[in-house]
Amino acid sequence: MSDKLQSIINKQNQQQNEPDASQLDDVVQLVGFVVGVEEYSVPILSIQEIIKPIDWTRVPQTPGYVLGVFNLRGSVIPLIDLRQKFGLPELKHSDDTRFIVIRHEDEVAGFVIDRLTEAIRLKKSAIGPAPESVHAEESMIEGVGKQDDRILTILKVDKLLKRDF
Amino acid sequence: MDEFEEILQDFLVESFELIEQLDQDLVELESTPEDLELLNRIFRVAHTVKGASSFLNFDVLTHLTHHMENILNMARHGDLKINAEIMDVVLESIDLMKALLVTIRDTGGDQGVEVAECVNRLDIAAGGAGVEAPDAVAEVAPSTSQEAESASASEKTDEEEPDYDAMSDQEVEDEIERLLMERQQSDKAKRDAKKKAEPVVESVVSAPVEEVKPDVKAEVKPVASPPPPKRPAAKKEAAAPVEAKRAPTTVEQTIRVDVKRLDHLMNLIGELVLGKNRLIKINDDVEERYEGEEFLEELNQVVSIVSLVTTDLQIAVMKTRMLPIGKVFNKFPRMIRDLSRELGKKIELEISGEETELDKSIVEEIGDPLVHIIRNSCDHGIESAEDRAVLEKPEMGIIGLKAYHEGNHIVVQITDDGKGLDTDILKNIALDKGVISEKDADTMSEKEAFALIFRPGFSTAAEVTSVSGRGVGMDVVKTNIEKLNGLIDIDSEIGKGTSIKLKIPLTLAIIQALLVGVQEEYYAIPLASVLETVRISTEEIYTVENRSVMRLREEVLSLVHIGDIFDVERVFDASEYAYVVVLGLAESKIGLIVDSLVGQEEIVIKSLGEYLKGIEGIAGATIRGDGGVTLIVDVAALMHMAKSVKSTIAIDAESKSSMQEKTKASDFKVMIVDDSRTDRLIMQKSLEPLGITLIEASDGQEALGILKQAEHDFDAMLIDIEMPRMDGYSLAGEIKKYNKYKNLPLIAVTSRTGKSDRMRGVESGMVEYITKPYSPDYLMSVVKRNIKFNLEM
Repeated sequence: MSDKLQSIINKQNQQQNEPDASQLDDVVQLVGFVVGVEEYSVPILSIQEIIKPIDWTRVPQTPGYVLGVFNLRGSVIPLIDLRQKFGLPELKHSDDTRFIVIRHEDEVAGFVIDRLTEAIRLKKSAIGPAPESVHAEESMIEGVGKQDDRILTILKVDKLLKRDF
Repeated sequence: MDEFEEILQDFLVESFELIEQLDQDLVELESTPEDLELLNRIFRVAHTVKGASSFLNFDVLTHLTHHMENILNMARHGDLKINAEIMDVVLESIDLMKALLVTIRDTGGDQGVEVAECVNRLDIAAGGAGVEAPDAVAEVAPSTSQEAESASASEKTDEEEPDYDAMSDQEVEDEIERLLMERQQSDKAKRDAKKKAEPVVESVVSAPVEEVKPDVKAEVKPVASPPPPKRPAAKKEAAAPVEAKRAPTTVEQTIRVDVKRLDHLMNLIGELVLGKNRLIKINDDVEERYEGEEFLEELNQVVSIVSLVTTDLQIAVMKTRMLPIGKVFNKFPRMIRDLSRELGKKIELEISGEETELDKSIVEEIGDPLVHIIRNSCDHGIESAEDRAVLEKPEMGIIGLKAYHEGNHIVVQITDDGKGLDTDILKNIALDKGVISEKDADTMSEKEAFALIFRPGFSTAAEVTSVSGRGVGMDVVKTNIEKLNGLIDIDSEIGKGTSIKLKIPLTLAIIQALLVGVQEEYYAIPLASVLETVRISTEEIYTVENRSVMRLREEVLSLVHIGDIFDVERVFDASEYAYVVVLGLAESKIGLIVDSLVGQEEIVIKSLGEYLKGIEGIAGATIRGDGGVTLIVDVAALMHMAKSVKSTIAIDAESKSSMQEKTKASDFKVMIVDDSRTDRLIMQKSLEPLGITLIEASDGQEALGILKQAEHDFDAMLIDIEMPRMDGYSLAGEIKKYNKYKNLPLIAVTSRTGKSDRMRGVESGMVEYITKPYSPDYLMSVVKRNIKFNLEM
């Protein structure tokens, strides 16, 4: 009797645990933010921290989207304006503006974004491939996530941190 | 076989250290072949290496060192006189020994280096005599007992246990233990014997005993685990009455530390220094705000203690990384000897100040430049013996190598008493090779002409020899010294000789810097490269061939504005004075114009990271006391960039703002600054008929903000005087600071009618003064006049 009970409980446990485990495997956690009118996102694990705008120092002989460097608790970190990087006009920083500090392997940089949206859990199945383009290698887009009625562009972290000048 | 690895590592480290000293000793020996102490020392090195290598089964190395030892032993006993030929063979064998050691280090084995020929020559030099020397040594010269013992002990291992490779670790351990015991006993026996024989041997012993210390150290190392029993024995020996006058030599204790750990420590200290700077800044702020409060004093004390300790700590850590420059100097006696034989000249090297210490990283960088300079001095500087005889100079040419401290720098000076540099010949060669133009040659100062030898592709040698003449070496000198932020100074007199001074900062990680300001930006310039700062009036700047120059005492100094190099937007008007920072690097000089000098600060160099790596003109960044980031100027790159930057110092700001043709009324823009909404409305209504664009601001701050954004090109401004936050006078003053708005007509519109008010208005740069109330027509006509409104209405 108790054996039977035990096996049932085990079975139940299994059923309860299994979907969870498989779900974990299939879910990506992203942080969404807005630049211009579009919403973008990067994997949450690549984000070191998100801070409010602080003063930075201009670095000469860099393209316009490289605003300069700033001091993050003793480290000197480059600051990149995603608006200008994406070809949008410059905008004065507002109360919603944030610096997202992104780390990939040993490289770190801060990115200026217009405002944060939210942390998003997205099933892998809900992520489609990046729109086809001629230079698939050079594309900064990892994929396009669909959630309810909105579309979310997922950016390639290593491409963001790659120097292209 | 971990222990074997460990022993091997120690063997290599030790051998390389021994060999470093060896070169110098050998060269010295050539001039004083009778020096028994030297001979003994050299002999012992060969012997130690032989002993250890046979223990470690390096047969080739053992074979070679055995023969070396042989010949040296004969010399030691006076059976053989050391002459140049024998020395050549010995030196060659030392080179082979080095090669073998390198091979062992890299591959773990001593195969692949051919020694047979050298061994042959060693034997010939030795006259094919006495092959079985080592065992006799112990008996003949008890003074070298340590060495002989160790060797015979290791040899025994070799004989008895040739395949100890096959033994287990435990067995090896036991074997070592056994050998040690044996050795201790024989040591003891020897000591007793010595005590008895003391009065007799004293004269023989006195010299070599001095060397007991390094040898003991060397012997202790290979057997890591059981050294304690041996130490006291060695100590006793050293402290024997013979050596009573000298302090016990074994006391000085050293510990080997991985350089990485020291680097890490240095980084941490760097952080601490930044923290200290910040603390001092905050302390100053607090002092200002809470003047007279009691806790201030306590805070002051703490801050000064922290800053004092930090500075001491920094110096202490820096010292752990310091090495005597003798480490580099050591290889030169040998080099000079080889060169002088090769070139058939007689040259002597005089070294002084070899105990001067500097940072390890710099010691490593400075070797190559010195090699090139010394080779050059030997080849081009010192004349041949015949020429010297004609010139009535002593036959022996002298090259001096001197190191000494000078402030935060170390100076390495290389002098020769050769023929000196002839500026005319230098210029002619430079002209021939197209390095300079004829005009350059005429205007060149002596120092500049000397500096020509550092140009790539430049050589005074008529033909390329194996020593020099390719025109590469001195270029290497310049590049390396620049990399270290060092300076090069050349002095020369024809017929008397040449002196080259290298001035190098003591350390690279934490440096003193001069902070300069340009517009709203700050830059840090390494103080090592700053020669002086001068304030000049703009009239002292001359333009020659599109380049700005100034006269600095006897020299003409070319100038470049820091803003042109780092394309800083020139928003503020330059004042009539300019500050010039005179920068010197390697052999060149330049004047850097900056807007302001902020002061001197200790800075820690931080890299800009992978993303911004390699930006021309920027060496890195540092964090200031206020938490902001300041970029550090790369002086070498800046000098290079200055050559291609066009001078804009004299260019008038007006030419930049190209006036756009105004075609319709709304192209004209006027700003109205007034805190009263009604007044703004009245002005607006009055000007409406003109159809011009009007932009409003409610106070001075806001108006200034709009100007800064530079979205609009204003043709005039109507300014009220009485305003909150910033009044009209201050606003006018601020506006006039901007180059761009220098000629912008400012019209005061106010109810203040006093004469002094009008005067102040004029002083602050207002062109018109309209008193309220006014008629709309009057306002309109004033505005029209000032904006040069020429369209038909």
